[in-house]
Amino acid sequence: MHVTGALKIKKGQKGGGGLAEPALVRWLLIAVALAFLGLFLVVPLAAVFTQALDKGVDAYFAALREPDALSAIKLTLLTAAISVPLNLIFGVVAAWAISKFDFPGKSFLITLIDLPFSVSPVISGLIYVLLFGLQGWAGPWLSAHDIKILFAVPGIVLATIFVTFPFVARELIPLMEAQGKDEEEAAMVLGASGLQTFFRVTFPNIRWGVLYGVILCNARAMGEFGAVSVVSGHVRGYTNTIPLHVEILYNEYNYAAAFAVASLLALLALVTLVVKTVAEWKIQEETM
Amino acid sequence: MGGRKTRPYNNRVKGTDMSIEIVSVSKNFGQFAALDNVSLTVPSGELVALLGPSGSGKTTLLRIIAGLETPDGGKILFNGEEATDRHVRERQVGFVFQHYALFRHMTVFDNVAFGLTVKPRKERPGKAGIRDKVHELLRLIQLENLADRYPSQLSGGQRQRVALARALAVEPQVLLLDEPFGALDAKVRVELRRWLRRLHDEIHVTSVFVTHDQEEALEVADRIVVMNGGRIEQEGTPGEVYDRPATPFVFNFLGNVNLFHGRVHNGLARLGGMELASPEHAATTDSPAVGYVRSHDIEVERLPSDSSAVAAEVRHVHTVGPLVRVELLLSESGETVEAELSRDVADRLRLKTGETVFARPRKLKVFAGDYQI
Amino acid sequence: MNLSLKKHSVLPGFGPTLGYTVFYLSLIVLIPLSALIFKTAGLTWGEFVATVTAPRVVASYRVTFGAALLAAAVNAVFGVLVAWVLVRYRFPGKRLFDALVDLPFALPTAVAGITLATVYSGGGWIGRYLEPHGIKVAYTPLGILVAMVFIGLPFVVRTVQPVLEELDAEIEEAAACLGANRWQTFSRVLFPTLLPSLLTGFALAFARAVGEYGSIIFIAGNMPMVSEITPLLIITKLEQYDFAGATAIASVMLLASFIVLLTVNLLQKWSRRFAE
Repeated sequence: MHVTGALKIKKGQKGGGGLAEPALVRWLLIAVALAFLGLFLVVPLAAVFTQALDKGVDAYFAALREPDALSAIKLTLLTAAISVPLNLIFGVVAAWAISKFDFPGKSFLITLIDLPFSVSPVISGLIYVLLFGLQGWAGPWLSAHDIKILFAVPGIVLATIFVTFPFVARELIPLMEAQGKDEEEAAMVLGASGLQTFFRVTFPNIRWGVLYGVILCNARAMGEFGAVSVVSGHVRGYTNTIPLHVEILYNEYNYAAAFAVASLLALLALVTLVVKTVAEWKIQEETM
Repeated sequence: MGGRKTRPYNNRVKGTDMSIEIVSVSKNFGQFAALDNVSLTVPSGELVALLGPSGSGKTTLLRIIAGLETPDGGKILFNGEEATDRHVRERQVGFVFQHYALFRHMTVFDNVAFGLTVKPRKERPGKAGIRDKVHELLRLIQLENLADRYPSQLSGGQRQRVALARALAVEPQVLLLDEPFGALDAKVRVELRRWLRRLHDEIHVTSVFVTHDQEEALEVADRIVVMNGGRIEQEGTPGEVYDRPATPFVFNFLGNVNLFHGRVHNGLARLGGMELASPEHAATTDSPAVGYVRSHDIEVERLPSDSSAVAAEVRHVHTVGPLVRVELLLSESGETVEAELSRDVADRLRLKTGETVFARPRKLKVFAGDYQI
Repeated sequence: MNLSLKKHSVLPGFGPTLGYTVFYLSLIVLIPLSALIFKTAGLTWGEFVATVTAPRVVASYRVTFGAALLAAAVNAVFGVLVAWVLVRYRFPGKRLFDALVDLPFALPTAVAGITLATVYSGGGWIGRYLEPHGIKVAYTPLGILVAMVFIGLPFVVRTVQPVLEELDAEIEEAAACLGANRWQTFSRVLFPTLLPSLLTGFALAFARAVGEYGSIIFIAGNMPMVSEITPLLIITKLEQYDFAGATAIASVMLLASFIVLLTVNLLQKWSRRFAE
């Protein structure tokens, strides 16, 4: 599981000369590939924005200014603001331990870190219901002390942390392993302390990788639906995130408003792709 | 390179006394014994080469001196003071990594300045002080005009010199270099190692470098330590280890060598059809023995000049630059040996493939017992 | 194996960083996941089997795993094609398309769900051309397939692409010199090299599709026995306060994803067997 969205380090174009396919075959293959991508990616993306503006620009902004929408936006930002930094710190710390040291059980640890990616989002939510629900381990105690985790903000944050857990770590581990520890050792020999070594030597080398991991982590944190849906309780204006708000509007047949709010997330996705692409170029540049 | 008029390094105390003593150091990586009870003294101000094949433990020893590895047993003394547990930061060593380990996001200037800028505020020179020091070092390595370049914009030889300047910036007591020329082209390698030798003659900092290239060790070092299988085979000046190899391994590792198999008995060796005196084996009775002769110590003659000359058939004659290599098949033993002749000697002999000549070892070292390399 | 292995490195922070890693991993992932396992263990074997083999549940497996397998197969074919075209050919907009491949990773599943449902419904951009031919996508099992193809699309592309980029041109040149034509070169030399990464991408796309919820429920129609996916069934059980039932089904799914995860790990080991 070390491939998803993993950093691509590209080489120059190959082939050509006598080894290329005939032009006709080439263009046919390109046409089929682009038709596939167009049908599955471009059409839906265009549809989001078209549907969002279906009832006009005024209706579009009205849908975004509506109080429930605003509170959903606020909750989504809050959730991301808590879960992304926590997973960032974890990612950097875990990558340091795993890439700079040798210890038994390392590959097992990496597999465990990847675990949340192979668990269905619904199950990711379910496990917190089992922990904190009234039937769960901590449920009775929590309700006795009047602490609300499930169907409240803490539950949403926890579920989000779970599903976005591996993003930063899995970008940084291969990157830092590839960079080795020569530069860090050189810094130590020259008298740098541990923190000086990290901030002046390691971090500048991984900053684009960090950005890459953070932006993907953030996209997922803001867009997570399944896990959050299980733990949220769908209380309008209180425990609804943007994706959950989109669902409610859609199920109420308020399509234009649903797509208007959804277009925010689609924009976020586009920004994510741009930043991700730039980060990839930068990483590629620096690895060369 | 050459042509330095200034003595840019003269503000450091010349020839700071710093000897290194390694006492019974051992190091295992899992089941693999990288170093097996190694003891060695590096005298102050010398340039010492650790020479050996890969896996011989030379890099491990260097990293233990630097403090980058901790030995499993034994001690490291700097100037007679125990330094085994001293952290790498406090050892005041300069280390040049095999692949340089330059900080790729810093310019040449910042790379060289790094060691100075991470010093605690009290010891840190001022901005101007750092700038002067760095420029002085860049002058020394003749890269002053490239101060603003990034490592990726430099050639291999330039990176190597920047790595050296970076190590020297903190005025180390000891300079350690791991395969310093390993990653360079043959030509640059020769230039740089001569430059390193001259640099060392100027600054006299106690230096140890690791290499697997015998020529490099012989040309650059004051002393050579030949290592094999985690142990020291021999140490001495380049002349000593080349002319008087202590073990078959050293013989084999330094220079081209021919083997004559046979037996030795009461000071008389019979090897590949030759019969010769071997006084150092006077007490040995009927033991297998191997005679080692360097290729350039085999003389090729039309007529045998004494009893140590044996008949041989010329199999091939290759001219390699100034030398002529002659492959000879010894008629009696069927062993193949290679003789290295100078061009004029070969021209005089006018050897032809297939003809019979006489091979006579000028200098031969006999090792008794079943030596295996 | 002794525990003083950190001695191999002079870099600081091994203890604290590994400690924090294990602590945070346990807190966020391991302890919550173990809740699922303990809860399942609370059921008797009979109850467990009865729950996970109820006809409606079995039907949901069939829909979920069947559609996921098909979707992964579609993605395997088109993924290799897209990766090939992106690596080997030049055409206008190539970089844009390359970046766009990751859209399913970046676009929240709920947005994908409502969009696909709209586009493929009777009056939608694509649906209106399919409907007259009697092809109904939205609110049928076919819709599930479409959503699964969408969310699984990047996996095969992104696993095959780097392998294709790393391929040494000399290998193809050698094949050509030995007299192989283009198709022979692809099928006998290139394809076997790509196979491990292709299978890895296939397995990842499959795993993702099996667990997917958000993008599917809007387009699926969610008819029990026909187009109801297993994750939805878990939620339905939860909403009926049938925690034991939800947990039992979830543990079956979890087991399935572990098997896929294990397969992927083995595949990656296998793919490295020729590595130097």
